[in-house]
Amino acid sequence: MSEFINENPEILDDSQLPTRKNDANDLLLGISDSIANLERKNLLLKIDNSVESEVLQNIELLDKLLALQPVPLLVSDADENESTDMEDDLEESDPIDRQEIFDLIASISDPEHPLSLAQLAIVNLNNIEVIDSGKRDEIAHVIVRITPTITHCSLATLIGLGIRVRLERSLPSRFRIVIILTKGSHQSENQVNKQLNDKERVAAACENPQLLGVVSNMLSTCK
Amino acid sequence: MILKSLVDSYLANIDINKEKTDELGSSIANAINSGDFKILDVIINLKNEFISEDEKKRQQSLHCLSNILNNLSSATLKKNELNVIFNFYQSKIDELNNMTEILSGFNSLTTMDSVSMLEISTLLNIISNEYEPSKFLTPTRYQTFLILSNIIEKYKIEMKEDPKFLELFVSTFLHIANGEKDPRNLLLSFKINKTITTNFKNIEQFAEDLFDVLFCYFPITFRPPKDDPYKITAEDLKSALQSTIASTPLFAADAFSNLTDKLKASSTVVKSDTLSALNECINNFGAKYCLTEYVPLWNAIKFELMRNSEGGDVGLATIIPGNVNINSDVSNYQLAINIVISLARVLSEFDINAFNKFFNYILGELKPNFKYNKDLKQSSTVLSALGSVNAQSFNKVITNSLPLFLQNTSETNQLKLIIMNLSFFFDSYIAVYGSAEKDMLNNTVIESSLTPYKDEILMILGKALTGSSEVEVTLRTLSIVQFTKMIKMKEFLSEEEVSLIVQYLSETILEDKNKNIYYACLEGLKVISDIYEPIVYEISLKRMLSLLPNEINATINLSEGKTIEKELILKIILDYTTSRHCLVKESIYGICEKLYEIAPLENSNNYCFILITALYTLLENNISLIKDEEGKEIKNTIEDRLLSTLINNSSILNDNHNLNLLSIALFFINASSDRSGHQSALEKINDLFIEKYQIFNKHSRLVIPYTKLISGLDKDCKFNNCDKYFESCIILLQKHSDEIVQFNKLGYLELLMVMSNKWLDEKYVSDSLDNLDWSNLSSINLEILTWITKALVIKNSKYSAGPLEKFVNLLENDKVGDFVAKLFEVFVVDIGSYCSKKGISRSNNVKVLYKQKFFNYVFPEIVSKYKLVTDLNIKSNYLTALSMILKHVPNLLLELVIQELVPMLLEALKMQNADVKISSLETLNSVCEKNSVLTTKYFHTLVPLLLKLLKKSNTNNVRVRLLTMQLLQLIALSVPINYSQSMKNNVLTELLDTLDDPKRIIRKKGIDTRQIYFEIGQTPSS
Repeated sequence: MSEFINENPEILDDSQLPTRKNDANDLLLGISDSIANLERKNLLLKIDNSVESEVLQNIELLDKLLALQPVPLLVSDADENESTDMEDDLEESDPIDRQEIFDLIASISDPEHPLSLAQLAIVNLNNIEVIDSGKRDEIAHVIVRITPTITHCSLATLIGLGIRVRLERSLPSRFRIVIILTKGSHQSENQVNKQLNDKERVAAACENPQLLGVVSNMLSTCK
Repeated sequence: MILKSLVDSYLANIDINKEKTDELGSSIANAINSGDFKILDVIINLKNEFISEDEKKRQQSLHCLSNILNNLSSATLKKNELNVIFNFYQSKIDELNNMTEILSGFNSLTTMDSVSMLEISTLLNIISNEYEPSKFLTPTRYQTFLILSNIIEKYKIEMKEDPKFLELFVSTFLHIANGEKDPRNLLLSFKINKTITTNFKNIEQFAEDLFDVLFCYFPITFRPPKDDPYKITAEDLKSALQSTIASTPLFAADAFSNLTDKLKASSTVVKSDTLSALNECINNFGAKYCLTEYVPLWNAIKFELMRNSEGGDVGLATIIPGNVNINSDVSNYQLAINIVISLARVLSEFDINAFNKFFNYILGELKPNFKYNKDLKQSSTVLSALGSVNAQSFNKVITNSLPLFLQNTSETNQLKLIIMNLSFFFDSYIAVYGSAEKDMLNNTVIESSLTPYKDEILMILGKALTGSSEVEVTLRTLSIVQFTKMIKMKEFLSEEEVSLIVQYLSETILEDKNKNIYYACLEGLKVISDIYEPIVYEISLKRMLSLLPNEINATINLSEGKTIEKELILKIILDYTTSRHCLVKESIYGICEKLYEIAPLENSNNYCFILITALYTLLENNISLIKDEEGKEIKNTIEDRLLSTLINNSSILNDNHNLNLLSIALFFINASSDRSGHQSALEKINDLFIEKYQIFNKHSRLVIPYTKLISGLDKDCKFNNCDKYFESCIILLQKHSDEIVQFNKLGYLELLMVMSNKWLDEKYVSDSLDNLDWSNLSSINLEILTWITKALVIKNSKYSAGPLEKFVNLLENDKVGDFVAKLFEVFVVDIGSYCSKKGISRSNNVKVLYKQKFFNYVFPEIVSKYKLVTDLNIKSNYLTALSMILKHVPNLLLELVIQELVPMLLEALKMQNADVKISSLETLNSVCEKNSVLTTKYFHTLVPLLLKLLKKSNTNNVRVRLLTMQLLQLIALSVPINYSQSMKNNVLTELLDTLDDPKRIIRKKGIDTRQIYFEIGQTPSS
């Protein structure tokens, strides 16, 4: 690593990276509302993009005062367990999609350059695949194809390891993670692929404190 | 004899008590001044000591005499007395150990009126011939500098007339100044040097020596010792040295060549000193010397300008017109630019041809850069600096430099460079001609050499903005920024051109979706509306308002098939009109007009909603801006029509949000209008709502606008029959409690609160509370009681304690306790149209600190009762009530009761109520942030409780889970590692569930939290 073999890679600006359209719902978390009210609030957020705005607070105040009714809300523990299924309908669920995976790994820093993997186009949105039924008791898959900046990149395995550690820490255990190189992007594609998806070898790598240190460094920029 | 005893006492105190000797010295001197003694008496008294064998005694006696002399007034000594003492000191000159006292004595003598020229010359001769500075310590040397400094101040005229005397003085000075190292002495040395060079002619022969004795210190560094009695700073020395070097053109040749030599140093500190010294030299020596020196000077600083190590900062150099202050914080690059500016100014003030020569020389060197696209930024900065001096130089520079790079191109990078370079010349324009201000507009245009290029510049910027692809964010932002800068240039653009720019910017802000560009445009429009508000109104605001469609589902088409949402248009209007009088007013009118048209349409609820929201926000943001007269005008223009639109259209009247928000908007209009009209307004409102619409006879939605409208009126207005309406309102609520809808009920309750807070007497309100049936536990009765009590609470009324106590007692009630607990929130919740806000204080009786008072009363009550009960349901009521209050009480208040509070909060986490949990978690979060000791204390109880909250359930909603994880993160960062380590694996496992949470935001937080726990105890890698 003494000298950069690949000193001038193409760099993408942060603003060019794919992002999720700003989800106004995120700002309104946890306020279990009627659909109509939610729609209103979304309209509001388009005009004034902050939960601090007076109008929004006024509306919430009104809703709160309207909800002040003498209905006993004490629910015993037994009831609660039964109602979990109902809850699923109340709280709309967001599926795990490729943008979410991308967001997880895009900000990992490259071991060579002071840039993120997404900026170097090592990972990109179209090369991520998610197969997930959304059911908690079914196995799901994530396939990430990475593109090293040059075909003889010696650090492809390290980058792959970083991505794997990040995903294994971040995804529920029902996910199986596959990390491979995009076709034709590396001289020794098969060997690298094999190494990246070999459970034993990954586990061994994670027990090497020095290697884990390097990986931690790469992950330290994760947002 | 008195004198004898004084002198003896003085001698006894030397080296023991300095204050005492000083006091004695000055009292003896005073006695001599007033003629009680003669100085010779002192000498006689000291005679034995003077001739003593003991050197110590001799020194003491000299000390005494010198001190007395020092305190004498300058007129006291007669010529012959002085002569005697002078000779006496002269005879002692070979006593090297007593030199300080001797010189101090001489120093006092030189200040005397009766000292003769002969004696001064003798003294100078003594110092230059018989005194060897290197043999003495600093305080001794200091005396010689004092002597010389006194002499030169006193004998300037003599020195001017007598070259021999001057010569003697200067050579004496050179003698003592050589090799000096003490900062205090150096300051004097520099001062004397400067006095010599600035006051006398005919010193050419000494110029070199004088310069050498100065320049050997350059660049001076000095770190003051810890308790430096003289308080000399490095800055003092530096600036004294610099100003002395720059004091006379005599030094010019030496200074320039030596300083440019120093520029080759590698240390940035040395460079920075040298550059600022050079700048001062240029400013002081005058054009004659700069004329011969500018070539070597330019060559010396060229490196700094072109290859400076702070490459990225190049653009930051700003052109500061006029004399540049020496400031240690500016970068070397800036200092070098300052030199260029100084040179340009000095030369152009001297002779424009001289400036032209200088300019042509630099231009000749820089020209190739433009040809080969090398160091463009730096070159442009230098050229624009040259042009920032005055109009002449500006014209010369522009005429010669713009053609070098200004050309129309469609190549993006080229365009970017051109625009960036232009920016520097715009700065020069502002430096020369000033910036545009609102009050000085007269639509004239200054003819400068930049004028002919104006059209081309506008075209290039326009092309960069509109002609380039949307991906070129940098280029487009640059273009917007430059447009904005051009607006700031005084009398550069004509109004038509400003209009053109406004049009560019408003089209861009509508069409472009990029955030950077949005904010750049917004900033531009704000700057323009600062100066040209009418133009922005005509060109931009009118267009935006006209874009709002008159149908509900119409799409808004911009050019080239682009569309925009109406919400976005309103957002833009809100963003850029803030605090601009005319724009705010016109937007309010425009939006109202639109509302009149839309409200009657069918299904227009949502469109009305966003219009009302915009109107509300405009009023709310600018409430302090809209003053009496303007408020009156706005009220007169829109109030009646808004009100009738509200009453007659179901899209507003039957929509809770629309009705509520528009009513509050009407409240703002009332609150900001002139108070003299409030009485008649109140009568008019009462006529309309009470008489015509009979809101107290049958329940009606119109109570909402009525309540808000009267909330905005002055509390000093006379409200006839208020008590009667108050009672009929209560009766109405009680009678129709079954049929009245929640929304209307709320309106009536709020009305009760407004009336009893503003117009009814406290005593009366308190009595009616007592007369109401507290044993009636129906919800409507409880609510009536609550809202009336709130009126007293926010007033800080003394009558509020009784009702509050009853409420606390009601918490025990197993039937309504849980409902009452929730009602506690009503007491402290701020109602938008009814709180203590700046600008509307006259309209209500809300005390700023009422929450504190309320909390201080209620909290101890609740805590003590909570401790007494055992029934879990009742306990839960207390916790709920508490958490309802906590949501609205400032955290500062909580810190006082934190010890009692935390155990209760932990209990609250076990409650099966999301609101209680949220409130408790929020408070715990803020506790944890500030008080890590307390967090550590409860760590083992708190963490398991939190881990239970991570499971999704009815009462663990998204907010609860999110706050829980936030608290877990805070805990990990604030407790000692032996605590967090013990729970690490447990927490990590429990957090696994959150990774599969249906909500993305929870998953994200879960990942972040896990990351923090993974890192606990991990050795940080290098």
